[in-house]
Amino acid sequence: MAAYVAKKRGILFPLALASILFVTLFPIYWIIVTALKPSIENISPVPFLLPHNATLANFAALLSGGYLRNLLNSVFVTGASTLLSLVLALLAAYALCRYRFPFRLNQAFLIWIILAKMLPPVVLAVPIYEVFMKAKFLNSLWGLVLVYQVYTLPYCIWMLFGFVKSLPLEYEEAAEIDGASPLQVLGRIVLPLVRTGIVATAIFTVIVAWDEFLFAVLFIRSPELLTLPLVIVNFIGEFETLWGQLMAVGLLAALPVLLFSRIVYRHMSTAYALGLK
Amino acid sequence: MIRETRMKGKALFFWAILSPALALMVWLTAYPMLSVAVTSLQNYNYMTDTRSWVGLGNYGDILGDRLFLQSFRNTLVFCLGTTLVEVFLGIVLALVFYGDFRGKRTFMILAIFPMMLSTMVVCAVWKTLFHYDIGLLNYTLQSLGLERFGWLIDKNKALSSLALVDIWQWTPFSFIVIQAGLASVPAEIFEASLIDGASSRQRVFRITLPILRDQILLLALLRTIDTFKVFAKVYALTGGGPGNATETTSLFIYREAFSYFKFGRSSAASMITLAAVVLMSAFYLRKILKEE
Repeated sequence: MAAYVAKKRGILFPLALASILFVTLFPIYWIIVTALKPSIENISPVPFLLPHNATLANFAALLSGGYLRNLLNSVFVTGASTLLSLVLALLAAYALCRYRFPFRLNQAFLIWIILAKMLPPVVLAVPIYEVFMKAKFLNSLWGLVLVYQVYTLPYCIWMLFGFVKSLPLEYEEAAEIDGASPLQVLGRIVLPLVRTGIVATAIFTVIVAWDEFLFAVLFIRSPELLTLPLVIVNFIGEFETLWGQLMAVGLLAALPVLLFSRIVYRHMSTAYALGLK
Repeated sequence: MIRETRMKGKALFFWAILSPALALMVWLTAYPMLSVAVTSLQNYNYMTDTRSWVGLGNYGDILGDRLFLQSFRNTLVFCLGTTLVEVFLGIVLALVFYGDFRGKRTFMILAIFPMMLSTMVVCAVWKTLFHYDIGLLNYTLQSLGLERFGWLIDKNKALSSLALVDIWQWTPFSFIVIQAGLASVPAEIFEASLIDGASSRQRVFRITLPILRDQILLLALLRTIDTFKVFAKVYALTGGGPGNATETTSLFIYREAFSYFKFGRSSAASMITLAAVVLMSAFYLRKILKEE
């Protein structure tokens, strides 16, 4: 294939490649190095690019500070809200694809949820806060699981709607003729066919829930219920220069999602090329 | 008869599987939206739980509030500035790295790392890099013989520093979207133009960009909507300061509601923000839909 703008043989191309990678990766490198430095090196007025005395003390401090609990909170909230979204979204997407509801509810619902996703979430925060207060969902991880549906459910419905819509009808019709109930058709025929779509959707949902900050900071009061983004923001605010521990938490929060990069890349480079027009 | 009961059973089934999602979305988005619209016309006293109608009073109040206007201006500047730079850089990167070369997959996967990180992790590392006394950026500037920069503490620079963080985090997204778009255009089109003797500038402006027009607009729409919401970055890096230099509408609404308990005012500000988001989206969508 012909090179587009730059010749890839000259000196300029590798140089461009290297400088992009440097700008992209240096802050991530800095997270790792800072987490490995003893605190005295982190507040030195002359920063070193490598730790002189690499140490795991920052990670040990996190363990003894009970921050493992916060990691588990994040894992729980992310997992539960992803699972809930996927189940509700698959059911809804299937219904929206295969049945025409009265009053053009199909289109209205799909448009409504995409509009809702466009809103700045802080706009919804006050009424949701009141409702959750009455329902005693504040300061609870289950409350977060519920409220994260504001972000994740519209996304999952749209994605799964697309995947279900692309399925051929024949399998379902055949199963129906053989006497399968609608629920069996959904569980035995549709679910296996959209499996890869579900995986892709789940990953994006996980990233969003793992990252969420606004509702978490509004709803969670007890230290033992904080999720990782809250722990990080408290670190930034309270102990201005406990950078080693801050970055150690950051690393904990970064690693699980970085592992998905390959899948995200593969999915995005096809989805945006073909679908989103 | 049997057929009819079967149809009814099916309708019931589909209603049953749609209703959980429908109910949840009504409860979490439709009801709150209505509630905000109503509260924006009221004076709501949180302590006594009493509401009184004040008409458009809250709107007048908010639109005359200098802090709100400043926050709105900051949000617009941040939103349009970051979107413009991210889309532009995305296009440039996609053009430079078009086509195949050794290690492209690995390169792309590494290049999207920033957008995979949690926003708070991104904020944490940039907070240390930006630090006035012991941050790496100022150290580097100084060893090059330049002045230290008040990245987050100079009121003329703080908003740009926040924008820089967003650009670092989200340019990879533009990059990957545009490069996917470019890859989906048959290479013959570019090769044909090369044979026809088109200059590289002509190829970029006359051929490539028009082909990718819709994708670029959609990308800009996504980034505009997303950057207009900016909250976590401001909360973590500057808290709206120094002074009010980085106050944004999200932060303003948050404070009116949860620090001062002025729900009428926060709701009016929410409605104005909403109107702005709808207007901006309509602008893009009209452009995207016009040609088709």
